[in-house]
Amino acid sequence: MLKLLFSVLFLFSIYTNSFAAIGCSLDDPDRDVKRLFPESSGYLTKFITLKELGGQALQSEIEEKLGDKFDAVYEDLDVSYVYYTILKGKDPIGYIHGVNQKGKFGVLQIVIATDLKEKIISFYYQRISSPEVSKFRANEFTGQFKGLTLADFYRYNVLENKLSDGPVVKIIDYSVNSPEDFRATLRGIKKDLILLDYFLHGAGK
Amino acid sequence: MKILTVAFKNLQRKKIRTFLTIGGVAIAVAVLVSLMGFDTGYQKSLTNDIDKMGYQVLVTAKGCPYEAATLMLKGGGGLRYMEQSVFDKIAKDPRIERISPQLAATEFDKDRQNGQGGIILYMGVSNSYLELKPWSKFKSGQWFSSDDADEVIIGYEAAELEQRVAGDQIFIPNLNKVLKVVGIFERTGTQDDGIMFIPLATAQRIFDLPGKLTGIGIKLKDIGSLGDFEESLYNEPGIQVISMAQVKGTIFNLVSSSKVMTNSVAIIAILIAVIGVVNTILMSVFERTKEIGVMKAIGASRLDIFHIIWLETTLICVLGGFFGEIIAILGTSLVEHIIRQTLPYAPAGKLVIITPVLLLGSFLGAVIMGLIAGIYPAFRASSMRPVEAIRSGD
Repeated sequence: MLKLLFSVLFLFSIYTNSFAAIGCSLDDPDRDVKRLFPESSGYLTKFITLKELGGQALQSEIEEKLGDKFDAVYEDLDVSYVYYTILKGKDPIGYIHGVNQKGKFGVLQIVIATDLKEKIISFYYQRISSPEVSKFRANEFTGQFKGLTLADFYRYNVLENKLSDGPVVKIIDYSVNSPEDFRATLRGIKKDLILLDYFLHGAGK
Repeated sequence: MKILTVAFKNLQRKKIRTFLTIGGVAIAVAVLVSLMGFDTGYQKSLTNDIDKMGYQVLVTAKGCPYEAATLMLKGGGGLRYMEQSVFDKIAKDPRIERISPQLAATEFDKDRQNGQGGIILYMGVSNSYLELKPWSKFKSGQWFSSDDADEVIIGYEAAELEQRVAGDQIFIPNLNKVLKVVGIFERTGTQDDGIMFIPLATAQRIFDLPGKLTGIGIKLKDIGSLGDFEESLYNEPGIQVISMAQVKGTIFNLVSSSKVMTNSVAIIAILIAVIGVVNTILMSVFERTKEIGVMKAIGASRLDIFHIIWLETTLICVLGGFFGEIIAILGTSLVEHIIRQTLPYAPAGKLVIITPVLLLGSFLGAVIMGLIAGIYPAFRASSMRPVEAIRSGD
C-alpha cells in the first residue's frame, strides 16, 4: 500500500517546492555584504515600496527619469524593494540595492553596490537565464560598470536605446545573440540607481 | 431568572479565577473544533485534489516505491520510465473513455530559491490532457501549435512566481534549449498550477527519452469496471497500476491513524478542562459554605442551591465554548499555516473547514460538559445542613 502512496505523492510533493517567489533581496546578505564590502562590520536593511513612498505620482516621475514605462508584472507599485546600508563601525560606507528586470529569458536580478556618493563599486547578476550567461557574468563585462553614476546613465535613452556621449557609451556588449539582455541590463541598472537615489533622499527631490 | 442572576453574580465575585477557568474550557473547545475542522477540510481538499487529477487510474513504470525521496536525493533524477508501446496497447481497451500519456522530467536550476537551487519539473503531455481535465482553461495564450513544438504552457502559480507571460521565452541551461511560452493556465487549485507543460514529443526529444513515458492517466467509461480493468493490467509486465480510489483510501487510513493521536490530545484537553471546572466550582462551594447555610436557613430549598451551583458550572462551560469557537475561527489561518509547514504533503484548498454544524455540535458539547461537571459540586452544596454549614463557615 505504501508503494501506491509514495508513487503518487511524489507527483504532488515535488511540484509544491519547485517554485519560489522572486524578490529583490540578496540571496545571502551576510555572505554577499562581506564579499562586496570586505571592510564592513555590519549592515542595515530597509524594505520599501513605491506605494508607500509616493504611489502612482512617484512612479510616473521615476518613469520619466528612466525614459520608459514600468512593466505591469515586474515593476508593480507593490513590489517590495530592499536596500542595504553598509556600516563600518557606526559609519555608513556604501549601499547595496537590487532590482528585478525583465530579460529575454525571464527575470534578471541586477545587484549594484555603491559608495556613499552612489557611484557603482560593483555590479553582478544575482540571477540570469541566458545561453550567453557566462559572457554576461564575466568580470570583463560587469567590470565596465565600475565607477559609473546615475548622472552617466541619464545620458542613456532607454526607450530608443540610444547612447549619447559619456562613459556608458563605451560599455561593450560581449554577447553575440542577446542584445535584448544587454539593453535590459542597462535599463535595470539605470532603474536601480534612480530607485536607490529616491530611497536614500526621499521623493520629490 | 433570579437564579441565573445569582449564579452570574457569584462568578463575577472571583473574576480572575472565573476568567482562567473559562479560558481553559475555551482552549479545549478551540482545539477540538480545529481538529475536527482539519479532519473535514483535509479530506475534502485531498478528495478534490485527487478528483481533479482527472483520471481514475494511473499506470506507472514498476520501480522504487520511494520515488519521491529518490527524486529529491538524486537532484531530480531517478524517475522510472516505461515504453510508449504500453500506452498504445492499453489505449485499445474499449472500456477506456479517455487516456493521456505523460512524461515527467526534471532539471536542476542553481539560481532558484534564492540561490540555493531548485528542481523544475516539466511535464510532457499530449492533446488528450485537456480532454482529461476539461476544467483547465487558459488565462492567456493557447494550446501548443503542434505536437512537437518547442513551446511551453505554464501553470498559474508557476507563471505568477516566475513572472512569466505568454510570448516570453524560457531557457533550459543544462539542455541549452529555448522554449516559447504559448499559454498560461487559469488557477485550478491543484498541483497543476505549479507545472511547466510541454508537448510530449518535445519532452521525449529534448530530454533524450525517445518513446518513454512516466505515467498514463486513464478515465473509464464505467467506474464499475474499475476492478476488472485493474485486474487485466496486473498481467502487463513492467508496470504498476495505481487506482486513485486506493490512493485516497490509503492516505485517509494514514491520516486516520494520526487522527487517533490528535483526538486523544483533544479528549485529554477536554478532561483537564472538566476537572478544572469541577475544581473551581467545588472550591467556590467550600468558600461559600456559610453563605449557603444562611441561604438555606432563610428558606432556599435544596433544589434552589443545586440550581445555582449547576448553573454556575454550565455558565462557565457555555462562555468557554463560545470563546473557544471564536478562537478556533480566528485561528484557522494560523492552524493551516502550521499544518502546511508540518505535513510533508498538504493538498491545495482549505485544510481547516469549520462548518455551522461543527460549531453547533461543539457548543452543545460544551453545554453538556457543563451540565455533567456541575452535578457533583451542586450535589455537595445542596446536601449541606444549614446549621453545620453556618457553624463550619465561622
